[in-house]
Amino acid sequence: MKNPFVMDCGEFHVNYKQDMRIWKIARVRWRVFLLIAVFALLPLISSDYLIGLATLCGIAAIGAIGLNILTGFTGQISIGVGAFLGVGGYTSAILTAKLGLSFWLAMPMAGIITAIVGGLFGLPSLRLKGLYLAIATLAAQVIILFIISRWDAVTGGTAGLVLSRPEIGNFAFYSERSYYYLMFTILVLTTIFTLNLFRSRVGRAFIAVRDRDIAAEVMGIDLFKYKVLAFVVSSFFIGIAGALLGHYTMIVSPEMYSITVSIEYLAIILVGGLGSVFGSIYGAVFITLLPVVLRAGVELLSGVFPELSAVLIGLKEVAFGLVIILFLIYEPQGLAKIWKNIKDYFKLWPFSY
Amino acid sequence: MGILEVKNLTLRFGGVVALDDVSYEVKEGEIFSLIGPNGAGKTSMLNCISGLYRPNEGSIQFKDSPITNLKPYKRASLGIARAFQNIELFPHLSVLDNLMLGRHVRMKTGVLAGGVFFGKAQREEIEHREKVEQVIDFLEIEHIRNTPVGTLSYGLQKRVEVGRALSLEPDLLLLDEPMAGMNTEEKEDMARYIIDIHEEMQTTIVLIEHDMGVVMDLSDHIAVLDFGKLIGYGTPNEIQNNQKVIEAYLGEENTV
Ligand SMILES: Nc1ncnc2c1ncn2[C@@H]1O[C@H](COP(=O)(O)OP(=O)(O)O)[C@@H](O)[C@H]1O
Ligand SMILES: [Mg+2]
Repeated sequence: MKNPFVMDCGEFHVNYKQDMRIWKIARVRWRVFLLIAVFALLPLISSDYLIGLATLCGIAAIGAIGLNILTGFTGQISIGVGAFLGVGGYTSAILTAKLGLSFWLAMPMAGIITAIVGGLFGLPSLRLKGLYLAIATLAAQVIILFIISRWDAVTGGTAGLVLSRPEIGNFAFYSERSYYYLMFTILVLTTIFTLNLFRSRVGRAFIAVRDRDIAAEVMGIDLFKYKVLAFVVSSFFIGIAGALLGHYTMIVSPEMYSITVSIEYLAIILVGGLGSVFGSIYGAVFITLLPVVLRAGVELLSGVFPELSAVLIGLKEVAFGLVIILFLIYEPQGLAKIWKNIKDYFKLWPFSY
Repeated sequence: MGILEVKNLTLRFGGVVALDDVSYEVKEGEIFSLIGPNGAGKTSMLNCISGLYRPNEGSIQFKDSPITNLKPYKRASLGIARAFQNIELFPHLSVLDNLMLGRHVRMKTGVLAGGVFFGKAQREEIEHREKVEQVIDFLEIEHIRNTPVGTLSYGLQKRVEVGRALSLEPDLLLLDEPMAGMNTEEKEDMARYIIDIHEEMQTTIVLIEHDMGVVMDLSDHIAVLDFGKLIGYGTPNEIQNNQKVIEAYLGEENTV
């Protein structure tokens, strides 16, 4: 019998085009198509509640891919993601609600504006590394949030702005299912774009900057240009995620973009795997569902121990911290690596040694 | 005509004078060796040429235009490539990707085209992949094409590093001790590659090497540094008979 987990050997690529494919092996390609099909069909049989959760996971995944481009692939840490999501959300809110632009224009604009803002706040990356850069991006977080919550005339201050769901002709994306498909389309495009980016010139340069900046520069890579470019590309996707989130929740307000959100996104890429596109998706699902699962657990327990729920309210933060620390200690390469280990295990199964 | 002209170069680190008023020229198409004891300033000289160090005084001309104040990445696009003394490869990337990075300045694809990866971007990738495969053939590293560089043996990493520099199709190739730490067989291979690069691609090579046998065999001209000072310049024959060099460097151990 054929072991379903075993790769065929004897896959030969006779030209470079074949050898450069994202998924070189036909079976893997089919599996990816199958996976896409499953996720495309899933909402047809799920409840609205589950579809809503999946939508939130997907939006977080788009933002996390963005952050991973910068932090995981280019090695530039940023704790300004929360604020950049805000820039995306507010840009789209202002363009649609105040200026009457269509969502289909406002969303890409949100990406572009966030990319520009991200690029500006990326300028210090030429001189600053590691912790110092982290502090500089923290400044971005604080400044942007300050503007968002104080510039009442444009941003609605602490009350925020109300958004509507996008429309095509007479069709509005009001149902959970329709918005899921919108998110899903953009997630697939983001994933393909990013996978492509990292098998071509600019993506390789990003990785070179991360791994050895001196060698990269001697090979002809303009460090400054590529660091700022990484901020720009990364912020574009974060801005898109921000716009998608804003139109999903139909409100944007300052507390949605706090530093906690920045840390959540860092947790996503840490848990998922730095420098892994699929890791960003796994991490987003994991971190988005973690509080949901915890809450369900608490509810279950509080039936038995009523006084417990008060204690467990604060559990979310604790669990968060715990998960990050455990990953840092036991699997710094994240879920993407764990998934690979499982696959490798089954490749050799049942002869694991 | 000199492809590289170094004039009155002085480089200081605080009180240490790493290079002291050094002048020489490298002729187009030759193998030029820089020798001297450890700490003589050889690596510092390459750092000045590739732009990692800014000399305190003096100038460097490449193909008749001054490059003293250019950033390293600009010098790469002018055709200067380098292999480092301490391996500076991108450890997580495959051999192939390391070499493709060597072609960075020869390629154009930007973010958008790269992300869409269709038509022109794909054609460019294939075209440059072909060039890189030629380098892979040349250095006989076909079997490790897809291996992450970090997992390779030291000798192979050294070879890949030369391959990455070669992928740039440089006019001037700087090799900082490419045979250091290699066994005899690996050394012979590397010497053969250097000769082949020189003969088949007409690349000008600046070589830093401690093995005097190799240096004397390969070089058209040799410059000798000692405590940052240029104490000798000439053909291998002239260097072997240069009294100052014999005293300062070759000493008793390499009786000429
Ligand atoms: N970045 C640096 N900072 C301080 N001193 C340096 C630096 N680079 C080189 N030097 C000094 O310059 C001198 C020449 O070093 P180097 O060029 O590495 O010699 P070589 O390559 O000939 O062995 C040494 O005394 C070394 O300590
Ligand atoms: Mg040295």
